[in-house]
Formats: sequence, C-alpha cells, structure tokens
Amino acid sequence: MLKQKRLMVVWLGLQLAFLLLLQEAFTLWVSLLFAALLLTRFTTLVYANTSLSLKAVNVIGACVAVVLLVNIKQAGVLNFMLQILLLAAVLRLLALRQLFEARQLVWVHYFLIGCCFILHQNMLVALVIMAALFANIYSHYLLFAPPGNNLKPANIGRATLIILPLWLAMFLLFPRLPPFWQIPTANVASTGLSDTLDPGSIEQLVQDDSLAFRVEFETRLPERQLLYWRARLYEDFDGRRWQENPQRSASDYRKVSQEATPAETTLNYRVIAEASQQRSLFALASPLQSSANVNIAPSGLVFATKPVSQRTSYQLSSELQPVAVLSEREQQLNLRIPPGNEQTLAFGRQLKAQHPRVSALVDAIAGHFRQQPYFYSLTPPALGANSVDQFLFDTRTGFCSHYASATALLLRAAGIPARVVGGYQGGDWHPEQGYLAVRQREAHAWVEYADQGRWQQFDPTAAVAPQRILSGLDDALSSEQRQLLSSPWQRNALFGTIQLQLMHLDYYWSVWVLGFNDDNQRDLWQQLRQNWQRFAYGLVFITGLALLVVALLWWQRREQPTQPQAYRLLTKALAGILPHKAAHQPLSEFLRVLAQQQQIEQRQLLLALITHYELALFNDDKAALSALKHQLKQHRNTLRRLHFSAQNT
Amino acid sequence: MPVITKALYPFYWRLLSRYLDKRQPAAPRVTLVQKLIFILPTRYGWWFLGLIVLLYLLGTNYQNNLILLLSYLLLSLFLLTIVLCYQNLSGLTLSCLTAAEGFAEDGLSEKGIDINLQLNAAAADNQRHLMLKLQFTGQQHQVVSQHCAPAVSLNISAGKRGKYPLPRVKVSSQYPFGLWQAFSYVALAQHYWVYPAPAQQSQAAGVMPEQDQASADKQVSDDTLSAYRQGDSIRHLVWKRLARDPATPIVRQQHTPPPQLQPDWVVVPAVSGDALERALRQACRDLLTLEQSGASYGLKLPAFTIAQAKGPAQLQRCLQALALC
Repeated sequence: MLKQKRLMVVWLGLQLAFLLLLQEAFTLWVSLLFAALLLTRFTTLVYANTSLSLKAVNVIGACVAVVLLVNIKQAGVLNFMLQILLLAAVLRLLALRQLFEARQLVWVHYFLIGCCFILHQNMLVALVIMAALFANIYSHYLLFAPPGNNLKPANIGRATLIILPLWLAMFLLFPRLPPFWQIPTANVASTGLSDTLDPGSIEQLVQDDSLAFRVEFETRLPERQLLYWRARLYEDFDGRRWQENPQRSASDYRKVSQEATPAETTLNYRVIAEASQQRSLFALASPLQSSANVNIAPSGLVFATKPVSQRTSYQLSSELQPVAVLSEREQQLNLRIPPGNEQTLAFGRQLKAQHPRVSALVDAIAGHFRQQPYFYSLTPPALGANSVDQFLFDTRTGFCSHYASATALLLRAAGIPARVVGGYQGGDWHPEQGYLAVRQREAHAWVEYADQGRWQQFDPTAAVAPQRILSGLDDALSSEQRQLLSSPWQRNALFGTIQLQLMHLDYYWSVWVLGFNDDNQRDLWQQLRQNWQRFAYGLVFITGLALLVVALLWWQRREQPTQPQAYRLLTKALAGILPHKAAHQPLSEFLRVLAQQQQIEQRQLLLALITHYELALFNDDKAALSALKHQLKQHRNTLRRLHFSAQNT
Repeated sequence: MPVITKALYPFYWRLLSRYLDKRQPAAPRVTLVQKLIFILPTRYGWWFLGLIVLLYLLGTNYQNNLILLLSYLLLSLFLLTIVLCYQNLSGLTLSCLTAAEGFAEDGLSEKGIDINLQLNAAAADNQRHLMLKLQFTGQQHQVVSQHCAPAVSLNISAGKRGKYPLPRVKVSSQYPFGLWQAFSYVALAQHYWVYPAPAQQSQAAGVMPEQDQASADKQVSDDTLSAYRQGDSIRHLVWKRLARDPATPIVRQQHTPPPQLQPDWVVVPAVSGDALERALRQACRDLLTLEQSGASYGLKLPAFTIAQAKGPAQLQRCLQALALC
C-alpha cells in the first residue's frame, strides 16, 4: 500500500500546507529548513520512489531538534511545540517504510490540523484547513482499503448524511467546559494601537484596512459622534512622544457595580474583537458590566485576561457618561509638563488668563483650530524635538494625534489635568446584518480633561475636520490622500462587493461558529426544554417520514418469491418435519414415504394433500390450490401432531 | 504481564468457546448476521480516541470552537465507522463443502492440510466484504482476501492422525479506517482427516511377499524381447533381427512390465502403542504404492476388513480406516 505514489503526494501536499499555515509560528530559517526537508522527500519520490535510511533521518532529526531547542526562548513554548510536531511528521515521511509508521503519520497529521486552528480562525483559511482534513481522512482510508479501490460518491454522500446531524448535535449540545489549565500562546507580532503614541504612528495604522472589531448593539445604534471606542490612555509625555503610565497597571480591576442605572443612559452591546495579541480591548464611555472573560479597569478601559490571540467576543454595558476622576493623584499625574515646547506653554498660560472657566478655555482652543489656517492631513511634514511648538506655530498641518497631543499640552499648561486617549472612532454600519465594523483605519486619538469630577472628552480633530467625525475618514481627506489609503484593486466595484459579502459571511461565521459559547448553549437547552413538544412533534414527523421512505424502498426491492404458492404453503405447514427430508428427495415423494408410517386417518389426509399439491403445482389447478389451503388450515393440529410421531419414528 | 495473559488465555478461550458453542453451533453454511458479529476498537482505534480527547482538551483550553468542531467531527467519524465496519462483514456466507484430508506430521515435512472455504457475498456489487482476514483459531496461517475472493484456502497444521471437526474460523475485517475490528468465530459443520504419515521406505512388513519375489527375478535385465503384437510401436522393433528373419518381428520392451495384477492385502497386525503407529504408517505407505501401481487391494484391520477394490475411493476408504484405527 505504501508504494502508492498517490498517498505520498497527498502527504507531501499536506505537509507543505502545514508549513504555510503555521508560517506565523516559524521564523524564516526554520521555514527554510522544513522546506529543504520536504524538497528532499519530493526528489526522492520523483526520482527513485524510495525513502531515506532510518539512521540518516535520525541524525537529521536529532540535529534539527537540538537547534530548535536552543531557539526555544525566542520561539516560545507553543511555537516550539508546533515546530517539533511538524518536524516529527516530516521526518516520518522521509523514512517511511512500514504500515504502522504510516498510521502514526496520519495520526500526527490530525493533530497538526487541530493546531492550525490555534493560529487561524478566519473563515477562508478554515476552509483550507478543512480541505487538508479531508485529504488526511482520504489518506487514512487508503491505508486500510484494498489497493485500487476508489470511494464511491454514493457512499460518501451516505456517510455525510449520517455524520452531519451527529456532528452538529455534538457541537450544539455537548457540554462546554472552562479551560483546564493555562496554556502558552503564540509569539506573534501584535496589531492595533501600541503603548506609545508618536506623531505619525496613527497615520501608519490608518493605512491598514483590516478589521479591528465588530459590535452588535442590543437596542439601537448610537449617533456617530458618540462612537469613541476607548482603548488606551497616554499620560506620560516627553515633549514628543506620549506613553502609557507604567504605574497604571491593569491588575486592579473595578468591582462590577450592581447599582441600578437608568436604562436610557446605558447601552448594552457585544464586541467581537479580532486577534491583536494585546490585552487592551475596546469600550464606549464608562463601562459598568462585562462578561466574565474581560475585566474593567478603574480608568474605564477593558482588558482581556490574556493577550487576545484569537477572535474573542465579550458583552458590555456602558453608561453614556464620561469616566469619573479617581483620585487627586491621577489629576497630578496628568498635570506634569516636560521641558521644551516653551511657545506652547506660554500660549496655554495666556489662554488660561483669558478664559478662567474650563469649558470656555476648551471652546477657545477649538475656536483657535477652527479659525486659524490649520489643515488635516494624512501626510504631515516631519517634526523635530519641540514637536508641539513646531506643529502649532509652524507647519499647522497634522493628523489626529498631532491635534490631540497639542491640545493636551495646552490644557496642562493652563493647569487643567489632561491626557491623550487612543482608540477608534466611528465604524461602518451594516444594517442588514446588524453590526458595526470598525477597522484599523478608524484609529483615532483625542483628549480627556478633568472637569467637575469627570474626565470630559474633547476631540480637537472635530474642530479642524468635522467630516472625520460625522461621516468618516474618507470624507475628511482630499482625493489624492484618499488614494493612499486604498490599493487599485480595492477600488474595483465588483471586487469591493465580493469583499464586503465575504466580510458579512465572516461575521456570521464568527458569531455562530467561533463565538458559540456556553451561554448560547444554555439558551439552546432552555429553548429545547420550553418547546420540547414542538421539537418532539417535529422529530416524530421526521422519523415517520424516514420510516415511510425506508418501507417504500423495502417494498420495491423486496424479492419476489420464486417458488410456487402450493410449495410454499406446504413447506410452511410442515416446517417442523421437513428437516428429515433429504435434499434430493421431492416433496411429494417424501410425504408419500411419511404417509406409509402413519395411521390410516393421517395417511389418508397426507395422500389427499399430495394429490391437491400435485394438481396445483403441475396442473395449475386453482380449485386444488384452494382445497389444499383449506385442508392445511382445517387439519393444522393433526399436522402438528404428525411432526411428533414422525420424529419419533 | 504477558506471562499472566498467557496463563489466563486458555481459561479465557474455554469460556469463550463455551459461549460461542451456545450462540452458534456448527452448521454447514453460516451467514454472518448481527448475532454473530462482534466489534471492538483496534489498538489504532484507541489511539484515535486518545487523539479525539487530546483535541477536545486543546479546544477547551484555547476556548477554540474550531478545534472542538474538529474533535467532534472525528468522533462522529469514529462512531460511523462502527456501522461501516459491521456492514462490511455482515451478509457474508461461509461454507466448507468437502472434507479435507492430509497426512500427519512425521517431523520431516510440515506441510499441513489445506482447507478450502467458500465465501459468498451478500450482494454482487463488489463493494462489501473488503479486506477480510481469515484464520483458524489456534492456527498460524492466515489469509487476507482484499476483494472477497469466492474461495480461500487456509492451511491447518496436521497433528496426530484422526478425524477432527474444523476449528472455528475467525473472520475479521478492519476495513474502513482500521479503527474498529469486526470479527466472528464461525463454526462450520465439517471434518478433516489426518491420515498416518507414510513410512519412508517399503520394508514389506505388512504386504504379502509373494509378488515381490517373483518380480525381483524378472527385473535382472531391463530389456526383454517379445514377439511383435499389433499395436506395438515400430520404434521398438529390433531391426537387425527383422533383417535376418522378416517373418517374426521382435520388439524390445524397454520398461519392465507392470507387476502382476494379483489381488493384494494390506494387513495391520493387532498390536498397540508405538508398534501400532509404526504398523499404520507402513500400511499407509503400502496402500499408496499399491494404488499407484493400479492394483486392486484390500485392507485387513484387527477389527474389520475392507474388501478388495481399487481407485481413489478405495484408497480414501482405507486411509480413513487407518486414521480411525
């Protein structure tokens, strides 16, 4: 069986697919190593159809394993495990000789397929992995089937019909357990906002068209101006770069407040976040309650319990109010001013003198940006050390991070605690599917300042480019700059539609497949319990229908009896005695012999039976047949007693 | 551990055969139905189950629905295979039409006895009864029939002489995926004969020596001359003699004429133990030579006598009498 080239080709293809699918977990040289090993196998397959000797393979395996082990610190435990698994499979294929080795190979392949799902949950990639699974099942079948035996489509169809309901029922109804123990996650570069904010970092992020997260709202979609998704707080400023405060650790979480809040001001929604390899997640205004897999920090940010390595969904309810100021210390933290940017500081102090009230001061800053010639641009000029001075008084062209940075510094100079918030603003609403898609290009930065015990939100970008907030980034940019955001093939209408449909499909995929959890399961059970009658009727109906079809098929395929009716009648009546008949003896002959041994009465009955039987059989006599029937019925008991006497003789 | 299992195996087998005898008494034709087919996971099946559990743990720990889906899919496949494996075996009919025969082992050759089994498929579509493995219980030899061959020949090692009922045939198949093994121990109502092993040389122990003496004298010269009779090959003509005396052509018979066709008796003396065995082996040898020579012969046993006749049926009758002696 192992000489079949077909099998080898399937396995080689599978391993190549694993190498490509697990690419994220491998560094370049590891990938090249595996590619070289696979190429070796390919050449031996094409030119000789032999395998390497076990000794050579063992030496290669030991060397590679040692190298991988040395590299474990860099790679991480999970990646190391994946590398070792693939190494085992590749080496096994290199030296494949025995049938049991092939079985082991198939086994490891199944496990590798499972591991591919750790790294990929995208629908299209999942389809590819499923294809790999079917290829592996096929190779598994070939191992145990006679050579040259091909699967019949009818058989596959029948098997699918049986497996599908079983599979779905297990998925929907089998109990789901919480994770048993902590498991390593893959070392993969994180995406999204980072913990520092340079002038220019958001511009780079905005050029990424990939999805950041999706949101379903329980009741209604809030107005666009309210959709400020807070993700990160930048509180340390060094004159050029904003940074998260290291003291604000994510460990001290707020207890979930149980006090009832008026329903009008709270908003319930579910966020399905893409894998970002970060812990910070997204929330609107001040979140109050969350599902168990995320935590709410006192600053109103939401964190996952571990870096988000796969699509995660969580439930939140937010109060549409600014986040409360926690302590005096928090305010002091947001008043620190780094050296440099003297002009800005002077301008801030001057504004403070003109507008003693905080709200008036903020309005004045917005008015300044609106009235002076400031420009909103995706490609602002580079800035030097005193970046804020340069931007405010010199270049006057910037992206949201420039405006946020300058505003926060102005407010701090005026003695008002202020910080920069990083997150996302807006999103694409898909009314039919009922979700809001927020992409990386919606990344945004704005300002929060402390006033009346709360961190009030202020977005200076709204003053410069109100379209950015009201309708989105594309409308706020000039047409040349818009070109920068999209590649040529994205502008193709047909392609755009297909991509959009795929995204919707992907949404259902993530809601129904990836996001299916024990809550959904509990709901389903409850539904089943409440409506069990309806389900029972349905089940009875379907079973009845299936039985009917089976009965119909059986009726059609039922074998027509080949023996004549008279013969069947007689054999049935004399079933107990017939084993004594020799195979070569005709039935009537046997009965005649039997009759000889009987009393006179039974003998006459038997002789009459024989006559009727022969007439019905050889003369096709209907009357004789009915007479035979009648006699058999009438003398049933006599015939039964006959058995005994006959067996005793 | 292997020691314990080895020690317990006969006990287990005794229990099992008692159960099987009740469940399926020997019959001339046996069709494998639900009652007779057993299914257990193979070693690979256990490994596969382990894989499913492993994937379930992986999926649970990563809270990854796709891995869970994969594990459930493999589990459904695992369960479906039970049915497929059963279907592959069910409906197969086994029978053994003729009683096999062979000679006992004499320490030199261990040929064993070939037993022909007939396999009848339930349907003629050639899609069932794939990868069948057949083996007599307690025997080494096994046959794998990939596409349900109509007949297979299974070797059984011949022990001592006698008439034995066929041991149960183990029919098994792991056909799709090798995760489950469907198997059945089929008892067929048939016997096989083990005749005494023929002795090495004819020492004329039991045969009446009258004919041997006579033929020994004649066999001094290989060639004999005789008068030409109609039907003799002209290639055997002695041409020199013909030239001298054309009236009486002479032919040279190159082969010794067959021994005289006088009726012979093979006699087994009334002894017991090793002597009996030796006598039986000798008798077997004699019977075979006599049958080869085309003579008509009979067998005299202490208990009874088989009348003189010739032909394969006579040989079989005599050998069977020896086997049972």
